[in-house]
Amino acid sequence: MQATTVRFQPYWITQKLKLDTNIITNNTSVLEISKFRCYISNIAFKKNNVVVWQEPNSYHLIDANDTSSYSIKLNMPATLIFDQIHFNIGIDSTTNVSGAMGGDLDPTKGMYWAWNSGYINFKLEGSSPLCTTHNKRFQYHIGGFSIPFNTLQQVDLPVHHTTNINIAIQLDQMVAQIDLEHQNSIMQPGRAAVEFSKKIAGIFRIKL
Amino acid sequence: MSNKRIKIAMLIVISITIYGFSSIDSLIVIPLGWGKPNYDFTKNPLNKETVALGRKIFYDPILSRDSTISCSSCHLSYTAFTHVDHDLSHGINGKIGTRNAPALMNLAWSKSFMWDGAVNHLDMQALAPISHPAEMGNDIENIVAQLQHSASYPNLFKAAFGDTVINGARILKAIAQFELTLISANSKYDQVMRKEPGVHFSTQEENGLLIFRKSCASCHTEPLFTNQQFANNGLAMDTFLKDIGRMKITQNAQDSLCFKIPTLRNIEYSFPYMHDGRFKKLSDVLKHYTSDIQQSSTLSRQLQQPIILSSDQKVDLVAFLLTLTDKSFLYNPIFAYPQK
Repeated sequence: MQATTVRFQPYWITQKLKLDTNIITNNTSVLEISKFRCYISNIAFKKNNVVVWQEPNSYHLIDANDTSSYSIKLNMPATLIFDQIHFNIGIDSTTNVSGAMGGDLDPTKGMYWAWNSGYINFKLEGSSPLCTTHNKRFQYHIGGFSIPFNTLQQVDLPVHHTTNINIAIQLDQMVAQIDLEHQNSIMQPGRAAVEFSKKIAGIFRIKL
Repeated sequence: MSNKRIKIAMLIVISITIYGFSSIDSLIVIPLGWGKPNYDFTKNPLNKETVALGRKIFYDPILSRDSTISCSSCHLSYTAFTHVDHDLSHGINGKIGTRNAPALMNLAWSKSFMWDGAVNHLDMQALAPISHPAEMGNDIENIVAQLQHSASYPNLFKAAFGDTVINGARILKAIAQFELTLISANSKYDQVMRKEPGVHFSTQEENGLLIFRKSCASCHTEPLFTNQQFANNGLAMDTFLKDIGRMKITQNAQDSLCFKIPTLRNIEYSFPYMHDGRFKKLSDVLKHYTSDIQQSSTLSRQLQQPIILSSDQKVDLVAFLLTLTDKSFLYNPIFAYPQK
């Protein structure tokens, strides 16, 4: 066995994300991100599109408030040969209906909806002058696992055999696809959450 | 065998005879003919200490932000764990909710929770009232911290889970364990169905059962007295509450005005009735079903044709409904406020 570390690092363009800090966006307005969390689950490695190893009980909360959560250590066979890493962004539907769980899935993590059972897969909050809301805030809580409002996203990225895999989460690319002026809040499962979720997978990129 | 052992052995034999044997979990007996519970006991196996912990938490106002409201504030054991005589539930600071607190029993068989099915698992149900601003107005993180700092809870968690760690999952699983033990299966109806010696329906009750099976049972299906579905039962929408029911959860127009079909067990004690507690008496409920059904596009298929009952039939039906009262459940001291 060898420990491979997968590191998920949120970025704003080329800068590592700093919470509650002014970010000058492309159009020279100022934006702040105050909260970023998402679930990474079902991490697996593939060779020629076939799964060669998967992490058991694979649920990880990435939380910008706790940068130690960015690094995930995987104990996998040293000889493993793979050409892709696979993971889900969010929590699968079976886990969503399986009752109370501890660890990163504990409902104290602020990633569970009490009034419409289910995990929040992806949470992004901040402020922008484009928002006409109180304190110019935007809040995107993206979740929902029931058909037709399933927001779980699957990602496959090419990787070379290496002990450290760095994955960038390009939050600038997410914000670029959102109409901050007209849609500054998504807080429940539904069509808007599904549309938002389709944009999430593309912001996860291998950082060489 | 000692005397005590003989007594325990006899008790076991008696309970097997009465209820049928349960292989699901040693702490509860599964009534004969009820089928397999929906709850997966392998993920949260009951044990005495965890049930006791769950019971303590259930009765502890520490769950609410200002330590004034416990689960039992709206779910009283003596009235089938509902808030008798209150149409809408109360919360902290005198806030009033929008729905009637449901009776709690036989929850191991429930497939969803809350009037609109908002909660998909018994473990997670408690999070809803804990976090609702008009109920406990708290959050589970805060409760974890408070229990960690209390004098008694860390040891109780150790007894229940093997160590003093307190987290959200453990709190919820403990509450669920206590709730899972709330089984009501010993009403007169149950005793008659089990053909217990000396227990018989009166003629009125017998007539009532036949009326029930013809006009009510397709939704309030025996033995749980609910088919666990959601339905629009023809109530006019309250113009103040404007509650669309299940549609809020599914965002599907076909679920407009649909609410969970509640069990009728212990109905004598669980008044007032309906999701907003609008009816105080069973006679009001029967009046609704026989003469006040509001037509709408989502009205339950079973209510499309009018239910016609004579006044004698209504009396008989109520007589039958009263046989669903289970006093051994209502007055069971192991469900009541835990005395020191």
